Amino acid sequence: MKATRLFQLTALLLVVVSVLTVCWWLFDQQHYMAQRMQESRQLHAEQLGAANALLAAGVPAERVEQLLPDLTIREGKAALSASVDARLAAERRRRLNQYLWEGGFFLLALCACIAVIWRALYAEAEVIKEQDSFLALVSHQFKTPLASLQLSLETMTLRTLTPEQLRTLTERMLSDLTRMETMVSRILDSVRLSRGRVDLKREAVPLASAVGRVVGQFEERARKQHIELETRIPQDLQVLADPLAVDVVVRNLIENALNAVAPVGGGKIAVSSRRSGTEIELAVRDSGVGFRPADEGRLFEKFSRLESGAGGGYYGTGLGLYIVKRLMQLAGGRVAAHSEGVGRGAEFRVAWPAAGLT
Amino acid sequence: MSAQGYRVLLVEDDPLLAAGLAENLRAEGLNVETEGDGNRAVEWFEHSSCDLIVLDVMLPGRDGFEVCRALRARGTMTPVLFLTARGDPADRVRGLEAGGDDYLAKPFHLQEFLLRVRAILRRWDWYKASTAPAAAATLRFAGNEVDFHAFRGRSWNGELQELTEKEAMILKVLAEKPGEIVSREDLLERVWGYDVFPSTRTVDNFILRLRKRFERDPANPRHFLTVWGVGYRFVAESEPTAAEGEP
Repeated sequence: MKATRLFQLTALLLVVVSVLTVCWWLFDQQHYMAQRMQESRQLHAEQLGAANALLAAGVPAERVEQLLPDLTIREGKAALSASVDARLAAERRRRLNQYLWEGGFFLLALCACIAVIWRALYAEAEVIKEQDSFLALVSHQFKTPLASLQLSLETMTLRTLTPEQLRTLTERMLSDLTRMETMVSRILDSVRLSRGRVDLKREAVPLASAVGRVVGQFEERARKQHIELETRIPQDLQVLADPLAVDVVVRNLIENALNAVAPVGGGKIAVSSRRSGTEIELAVRDSGVGFRPADEGRLFEKFSRLESGAGGGYYGTGLGLYIVKRLMQLAGGRVAAHSEGVGRGAEFRVAWPAAGLT
Repeated sequence: MSAQGYRVLLVEDDPLLAAGLAENLRAEGLNVETEGDGNRAVEWFEHSSCDLIVLDVMLPGRDGFEVCRALRARGTMTPVLFLTARGDPADRVRGLEAGGDDYLAKPFHLQEFLLRVRAILRRWDWYKASTAPAAAATLRFAGNEVDFHAFRGRSWNGELQELTEKEAMILKVLAEKPGEIVSREDLLERVWGYDVFPSTRTVDNFILRLRKRFERDPANPRHFLTVWGVGYRFVAESEPTAAEGEP
């Protein structure tokens, strides 16, 4: 981030120079006014001398006051009028105030400009960071299954294997391909969603059948990983959303739950739903690795992959929950996540506008 | 060389890749233990030991580089073969600086992986065998003393020197042939293997480090001498003339 560093230094330099300039203006004005007052006092001293000479020469006091309006004559003696000092002090204050306000405004405008540029640079840095994360993610998420796939194929080529071993390797390769396929879909989804390039329908979607379809696809995986998948969705609930988006949201939530439960060697996932006012809420509760309550905010960020407390590896791709959040935002719904802490399971809730009871 | 009977700790968080690697290592006759978490890999060494660690870089808990550094810091000098999704040179150098012995970028060829595993075990075997006799376990020269088993030494000024595994191995290779020229390529081959480093300059850097540790005047070395364009020569006792050249 060379450009940012350079900008930081330039901005700092500009602020310092501006502060020094304003200080110089104030000092210069102070100095100028002191000089003016000095000159004025000298002039008045001379006027006093002249007035006293005129009075001594018998010129009437009124005439002297007319000739020298800054002086007053009391008891036959000339003195400086009280308003003169006050006028000079007011002039000094006015000039100092003018420079303070102008300088302050100047500094404020400068800081505002710097803030705007800073924001732009920060946004650019964020984009670069996101791109780096994306590359790191693609590296890790693709190269690992790719390495596993290559390893399985080369094992088949190099070694003499029993039919059972061949079957295991084939299953492993299929899993690797599925992982890569899922990753490609998620990346494409997330890119489309983050750029807003989606045209979502709004129609009544029966939630029970939408959830049932997705759960059915995960049942075998859940069974293999000793995970009990329980679904309790009232048949009459309909949400106002895009059917494909509902499918993606439910799929990602259940997959996230499976990924969280698998590292602890099995457990339970409960999918339930209820009507709440004008919304229909879907809750996916798991007995998996959970997360620190402080990480709640990070969960739905793009590329955030929380470390599983049970040590089963980083679970997830870092995109699933981001996709859920974006789709729910576009559907006018909301998302929330809660966990009592690492190792204590988690609950993810999403809510769509209700399409009415049937 | 047969890899029979060696014990390998495989630290990989991806269960499918870990299973594939473990099966292949077992098929080579190695005893394989697996861990999927960086912290647990470090803990594993509290009660166990092995001949080789195959270490993934991106791990939960703590990454592979940190695991390697933690192990080296507590004196575990078991060779490490890094596996990583990143294969850029900077990352490669980071891995080797962390104390790794070799580095393999994913995806890799099974035969290359096994070749590297065998090469590391062979080098480690050579080091252990060559330092096994009591007489060969310690090197004394010009007031310096090096214990090849403990990877520790004491320099001429009494300062304690903690050697890295590579420094100890280079010193061992040089000390095996006192007074003879050992080429940089030879050192690379014996200590690292084939194509781990992009250039032989790496050897030069390690020699500089050894000079700093054991030479009275590292700028005018008397024990680790450069032979221009060829390699290095180790002289146990000071020669009347200074170095024959600088790298």
